[in-house]
Amino acid sequence: MPSRFRSPLLWITLAVLVIAATLPWYVSAYILGLLTVAYYFGVFAMSWDLLFGFAGEVNFGPTFLIGVGAYTAGILNSHYSVELYLCVAAGALAAVVAGFVLALPALRLRGPYFGLTTLVAVLILQSFVVVFADLTGGEIGLTIPDVLSINAGVNYWIALGFMAVSGAILFGLAQSPVGLILQASGQDPVQAGALGFNIIKHKLAAFIVSAFFSGLAGALMVFYMGTASVGTVVDLAVGVQVIVAAVLGGRRTVLGGALGAIFLIVAGEFLRPTGELATFIVSSVALLVILFFPNGFLGAVLSRGTRS
Amino acid sequence: MLALQILIDGFAISALYALGATGFTLIFGVSGVLNLSHGAVMVTAAVAAWAAGSVLHLNPYADALVGLLAALIAAMATYFVSVQPIQHSRRIPGEEKEIFILTATLLWGIMLQELVAYFFTNNAKTVLPIVQGVVSILGVRTPRNEVFTAIVCWAVIGLLWLLVNRTKMGKTVLAASMNPRGVTLLGHELTHIYIVVWAIYGILAGIAGVLLGMFLGVSSYSAGPLTASAFAIVVLGGLGSVSGSLIAAYVVGYLETLTAYLISPAYRSIPALLLLVVVMYVRPQGLLGRR
Amino acid sequence: MEKSLRPHSRRLPGKLLGVAALTFLAGVSTLASAAEPPIKIGVIAEAQAIAGASIPQAAQMAADEINAKGGVDGRKIELVTYDDHSSSADAVRAFQRAVNEDKVVAVIGSYISEVVLALEPWAARLKTPFVTPGAASNDISLNVHKDYDKNKYTFHGYLTSAALAQEVCDAAKDLLVDGLHMKSAVIMSEDAAWTKPLDAQYEVCLPKVGLKVLDHIRFSPDTTDFTPIFSKIETAKPDVIITGISHVGVQPTVQWKTQEVPIPMFGISSQASSSTFWKDTNGAAAGVLFQAVSAPDAAVSPKTIPFANDFKKRFGNYPSYAGYTAYDEVYYIADAIERAKSTEADKLVAALEKTNWVGTIGRVQFYGRNDEFTHSIKYGKGLIQGLMSQWQDGQQITVWPKDIAKGSLKFPSFVKVGAGK
Repeated sequence: MPSRFRSPLLWITLAVLVIAATLPWYVSAYILGLLTVAYYFGVFAMSWDLLFGFAGEVNFGPTFLIGVGAYTAGILNSHYSVELYLCVAAGALAAVVAGFVLALPALRLRGPYFGLTTLVAVLILQSFVVVFADLTGGEIGLTIPDVLSINAGVNYWIALGFMAVSGAILFGLAQSPVGLILQASGQDPVQAGALGFNIIKHKLAAFIVSAFFSGLAGALMVFYMGTASVGTVVDLAVGVQVIVAAVLGGRRTVLGGALGAIFLIVAGEFLRPTGELATFIVSSVALLVILFFPNGFLGAVLSRGTRS
Repeated sequence: MLALQILIDGFAISALYALGATGFTLIFGVSGVLNLSHGAVMVTAAVAAWAAGSVLHLNPYADALVGLLAALIAAMATYFVSVQPIQHSRRIPGEEKEIFILTATLLWGIMLQELVAYFFTNNAKTVLPIVQGVVSILGVRTPRNEVFTAIVCWAVIGLLWLLVNRTKMGKTVLAASMNPRGVTLLGHELTHIYIVVWAIYGILAGIAGVLLGMFLGVSSYSAGPLTASAFAIVVLGGLGSVSGSLIAAYVVGYLETLTAYLISPAYRSIPALLLLVVVMYVRPQGLLGRR
Repeated sequence: MEKSLRPHSRRLPGKLLGVAALTFLAGVSTLASAAEPPIKIGVIAEAQAIAGASIPQAAQMAADEINAKGGVDGRKIELVTYDDHSSSADAVRAFQRAVNEDKVVAVIGSYISEVVLALEPWAARLKTPFVTPGAASNDISLNVHKDYDKNKYTFHGYLTSAALAQEVCDAAKDLLVDGLHMKSAVIMSEDAAWTKPLDAQYEVCLPKVGLKVLDHIRFSPDTTDFTPIFSKIETAKPDVIITGISHVGVQPTVQWKTQEVPIPMFGISSQASSSTFWKDTNGAAAGVLFQAVSAPDAAVSPKTIPFANDFKKRFGNYPSYAGYTAYDEVYYIADAIERAKSTEADKLVAALEKTNWVGTIGRVQFYGRNDEFTHSIKYGKGLIQGLMSQWQDGQQITVWPKDIAKGSLKFPSFVKVGAGK
């Protein structure tokens, strides 16, 4: 049962986080930068996993929510000089609204149509960003005047802290009574409905939570990098990376998403010397994992516990 | 004159969309797979045709054939690498197979795209047209290649219709799309049927890709938008309905052309996307979709 | 199983590894300081784009030549290259890595204006000299002028859009108005940061040389179907299409030929300046007139043609326009280091400002603090003048200015040149 598994897991997680927090004292600024991006990605993946694992809904456009959050924050700061933390809050809020707007039609659909709707949302956002390039910087990107910090260590701690808190909240939600209901409905919709739970309302809630964290992470990441572009926060390829990270880490484990994201980013970095082939290699590895290790890193370990 | 120009241009581009969408819908209709590497397969065909002409200096007919072959290989690879293993996998629970296949085809599409970019750069390539020169249609100067494109697209679609409705193999494929289990009871191997369908798909996508390369040109960046466009058309027309895709292709093709001519080329893709949004809200199964 | 899949295990072994690494590095650096450490220069470019691929290649050529002659005060130049995939975000990460991790003293970067504009604030934040070999946006140098103390690290190693437009107008006057008696034009450009000031300058200088601007079309850089655009241009019946394209090139050119648009194209088409353009367009490039700052057949300076030929020998094709500038930049950065006797950022900036270098593109000097386009290269006779080239029979033939022209204008049969139709 959950509480019995949480104990060793909790201590291991805490130990890892503490060690991770000490990295800035002996690791280069560049590696810190890499891990910073990986941590934000981890939040993307964990948010996605909450929706997928626990509501059984495959969101093919996590970058719709991430992108809305990122660009809202970026545009407010770049064009209207709104203060940084207000922009981030606005970004998260915008993502929540976007999530709501997306969830309404999507949750009425089943099977491939849900995934399609989320995919279409990304396409629309992408077109919007490219066509209204005056506002959004178009394909090449939007430069953002403010940054969270120039210090690599500070940026790293902000990202690590954010990921830890988000992870705790998301994992907590997943293990809560609400979470268990959603998980049940995800795996056997008819039964859960027969038991009288209002599935749609809870799925909508999962959508909103996923949207909130995705948008927040997107906005923060954009202030870390100093730019927002289609290629980093909207593109379908990024969405695929988020999904792959979550699957690699283990579906329905939430925390696996963070692991998967870190693995993907670090692996991508190791492959930098291969130049143009890096994306190809990472994609092929991801494909192999999906084919032969679909339960991912933590999948085998954690899901066994929660399924009982 | 403008109206005539719009009519002609819209017709040609819609025909090209129709061919691409037909292949996409065929795969979904028969094997339930939304092949997200569709655009990459088309780009592979076009770039292979360009390479045959540019690097090997073959004549345009041979180039087209090379492109077709490349698409066929790419399509078969897509099936054997990202679809079949998951369909037969015991590690993936049944209800999640669709999602895994979707993700796998997406990843495979990215891999194909990156390979093309690696070997041939991401710069746009055009295929030497088989038909050159211009012809005057009721006063509108039209490239002969554009007419050729429209004719070939419709000829292929016609052939496909004949294949599916008049030949034994075609009817088996059609039956498989309606009732896979029933077909196996009649003694057919589903895998053989799938291979046939993917091969047909490869040829369709290959022709569409080569024609696109001759008409407008492609680059490795085109892969994503091409998939998105085929996919939007198929959703509009109704997943699994070939006639729906044909109609939707013309609706989208003309919407885009009208927008490009009358409003601005920059906003070309907007009306079609808005239409898609409306359809998703109001009638998610599309114009002629089943379910 | 988990340990082997997680290359960065964050436990005790990691900490030990860190300490060991530090000790090792300390040892290595004491060894290394015995020999003179190399001067590292970062090169950030779009390696998969035709214009961008030449940048690291040409830079490497320059570095190798300098090193063969003994380097800079005995120190070798070492280039660290990064591919930014035409993305600002990737370029920013590369810049951060170059300065923080690879410890470069200067960065040569990108031919895309939006990318350069994204890097400019980082050059300021990280106080690292940054030179671009190809972007054109006026804002790059206007930003330096507006906030000199912050942005002085950025140098615009190419002509501003304003200067480019002026060059096109100067050439148009000689070739089109005086030579072919043309009277009207339509401006056709991609919607990008560098074309806004370009088009603004076109609208001012074209009428001044005698070409009335009948229409002005801006299209999205990811346009693939140019049919409606050419149809629209044709209905306006101009004598020439004045272009401002860089992100696209192959597709509009091929479609121009396929549709047999009877109006010539003249202006800026950066893809056309690349030597593979003829092959990429299957010959549709015939007749296309494009601006350049150097060409393989033009003796812009004594260094131009030898460089172009050496590049072709080494890499199989002539360099793109950004290759010439990147080559020159490595040289004049090295020259600045020598004059400053230091690689310290502020001293390097001061030395770069005094650059007076004859490169493959002409004599390179930078505008100063009091000029409008601070740190952009000076345009004019005796400095950087640029040229107009035309594709004819598979070759790029320089057609303007007269003193270095190698041929005269030649158009495909479907193009109708001359006044009025």
